[in-house]
Amino acid sequence: MDISDVSKLLVKASRDPVLRTGLDRGISSYWKKRKAVLERYPYVLDLAEEVRRIKEDSVARMEELVNMAVESVERQGGRAYVAKTADEARRIIGEVVGTGKTIVKAKSMTTEELKLREYLIEMGNEVYETDLGEFLIQFLKTKPMHFISPAIHITREKVAEFLREFMKVEVDKDDIEGMVALVRKFLRDKYFRADVGISGANVFSADGGLFLIENESNIRLSISLPEKHIAVVGMEKVVPTMEDAWKVVEVITRFGGYKVTSYVSLVRGPAAENDLGPKEYHVIFLDNGRLNASKDPVLKETLYCLRCGACQYMCPVFGVVGGFWAGLSSAYSGGIGVMWEYITEDEVQASYHAFACLLCGRCKEACPMKIDQPKVLREIRKRLMEKL
Amino acid sequence: MSLKAVKTLLEDNAKRTWNPLGVRESSCSEWARGLNLPERGETLLYTGCLYQMVPYIESFSKMLKKLESLGGTIFSVSLKLTIGLRRIGIDLSKILMIGVSKERYHRILRNIATSLRQAGVEFAYLREEPYNGVLYHDLGMDKLFEVQAMRIADKIKASGAKRVITVDPHTTYSLRQLIPEFVDDWNVEVVHYLELLHSKGYRGSPKGGVVAIHDPCYLARWNGILEEPRSLLESMSVEVREPEFTKKFTGCCGGPIESLFPTLASTIAEKRLHELKETGANRVVVMCPICLTNLGREAGKLGMEVLDLAEFLG
Repeated sequence: MDISDVSKLLVKASRDPVLRTGLDRGISSYWKKRKAVLERYPYVLDLAEEVRRIKEDSVARMEELVNMAVESVERQGGRAYVAKTADEARRIIGEVVGTGKTIVKAKSMTTEELKLREYLIEMGNEVYETDLGEFLIQFLKTKPMHFISPAIHITREKVAEFLREFMKVEVDKDDIEGMVALVRKFLRDKYFRADVGISGANVFSADGGLFLIENESNIRLSISLPEKHIAVVGMEKVVPTMEDAWKVVEVITRFGGYKVTSYVSLVRGPAAENDLGPKEYHVIFLDNGRLNASKDPVLKETLYCLRCGACQYMCPVFGVVGGFWAGLSSAYSGGIGVMWEYITEDEVQASYHAFACLLCGRCKEACPMKIDQPKVLREIRKRLMEKL
Repeated sequence: MSLKAVKTLLEDNAKRTWNPLGVRESSCSEWARGLNLPERGETLLYTGCLYQMVPYIESFSKMLKKLESLGGTIFSVSLKLTIGLRRIGIDLSKILMIGVSKERYHRILRNIATSLRQAGVEFAYLREEPYNGVLYHDLGMDKLFEVQAMRIADKIKASGAKRVITVDPHTTYSLRQLIPEFVDDWNVEVVHYLELLHSKGYRGSPKGGVVAIHDPCYLARWNGILEEPRSLLESMSVEVREPEFTKKFTGCCGGPIESLFPTLASTIAEKRLHELKETGANRVVVMCPICLTNLGREAGKLGMEVLDLAEFLG
């Protein structure tokens, strides 16, 4: 691994016209939405500052809050686990799922980090991503290129071409609603057949609330219809109270470019005896480098990340190479992706990718948490340079 | 390309010349010739040598791009060759500079100096100007940066300066934010020349015309200098057009990754130029030598021209 490998990869990406079209469309649409949202709800900027303080406090108390969250889940009749590593998380989830099962999945970057879909399929299960973007990622065998727009690099022309082949029907590339309907119809019976629903978490309150934000209602179906619900929660997602969590939800939504999100689900535990809903509720709190990072004076800032994707949209490097930056083997993308990759996955790969940052700071300007990515990425460079 | 080779080259050049591209400190101050500036004073104009390095960066970048297109192995071999050549007395940075003019960059600095004088500011200069060290810091080579930071601080202190005027955003940021992290008892006031001209109510002579303004990232975001360049341009009757991404949301020129990712840096510059062209202006004004070179290099293809704000002065 050296700089030339990173350079070759990024130059190749920057010359892909389909990728560029997708990025151009996604970025320009985000910028318009962001301006409109912040103009309409200017107080969100103050709320973001408050959330930054909540996250600073939460990350400093990560272990304590996760222990509280574990107790809350167990008290409410669920099962809670703390997984030190990705391997351990996969093993726990594998045991809860078993083999020969059908699984419907909500979009979750943390499960991408675990390469969970691939793992469960290899164990002999049928797995379906139910988020439209992730569905395309799964069947086009590519990586999610953005936190909230995973298929930002897949143009509608490309989607139409894929659906024509996959569904064996005629598809009009300009009929986006028609294409969405096709995928919805395909997924419909999967929800009813599924034995297990898997989700991530947008934020988790230590007093026992799992919060999930979405616009397609696929998450509600995925976590309501099957008998088992498994939630994978990065340890940095835990905040002290439900009130804190709602603030996080609002900031994620608004900085993601949405005026109001379509749905927010709050899960407290398994369904009661006579209620509808999953009878089993398993929550896996994932460490995988996070606890160490929370004690690192520079890296800990990564953990304030709400994964809203604002920085990725605004990054000039991301704007021409998308999720190739951070590496195709990484679940994560862009400068923030390099930071997550460094903490959770391949430290060496991340270190070389860190050199592609311009240190221009537009990410910091766009970020609701004002995360200083240039500072963190420069620190990662420094640590590599010292070893060379 | 090998990061290790880049590191070795920079260390070697720093050791030899105190400059990452082998530019001598005495040639950094060539711009001041004939201006009769004193070498001591309460106020010092310190350039950080960034504008002066542009022609060297240009030549170096051309070589890098060629080598990048040939593949990574050749690149690291050639870096080793560079160092090898020098051991037998041949300086590649001099060979690269044959036929390259430094005149434009000297004129930019002289325009700044002249305008400051017209605004009633007296200042000294350093006869041997040290490089600002920013590349070392950017690349995470903190030991090298620390040595350079101490050298800069020593020279500035020795000049008797209590106030330093800077001319580019990177040096400004470095003197304000980085040097205090690395050097003890650094009590020097740092003022960017645009801030100083603005506070003196300086007005340039009428120029007219239309420009698209490109805020350099380190000027707008990291130093918060936004209104000064605009009001100076307006004082010269220049119509300033704002691109969609401007001020705190300005788009980077790509320059900062040019030394490791030259091709990608050009792609980013080209994209930024398209944004600037949407204003309808074919002239772009920048206030940073890095933006000047990286945007300037791609501008011809789009029928555009990139000028530094200081080129409107004088």
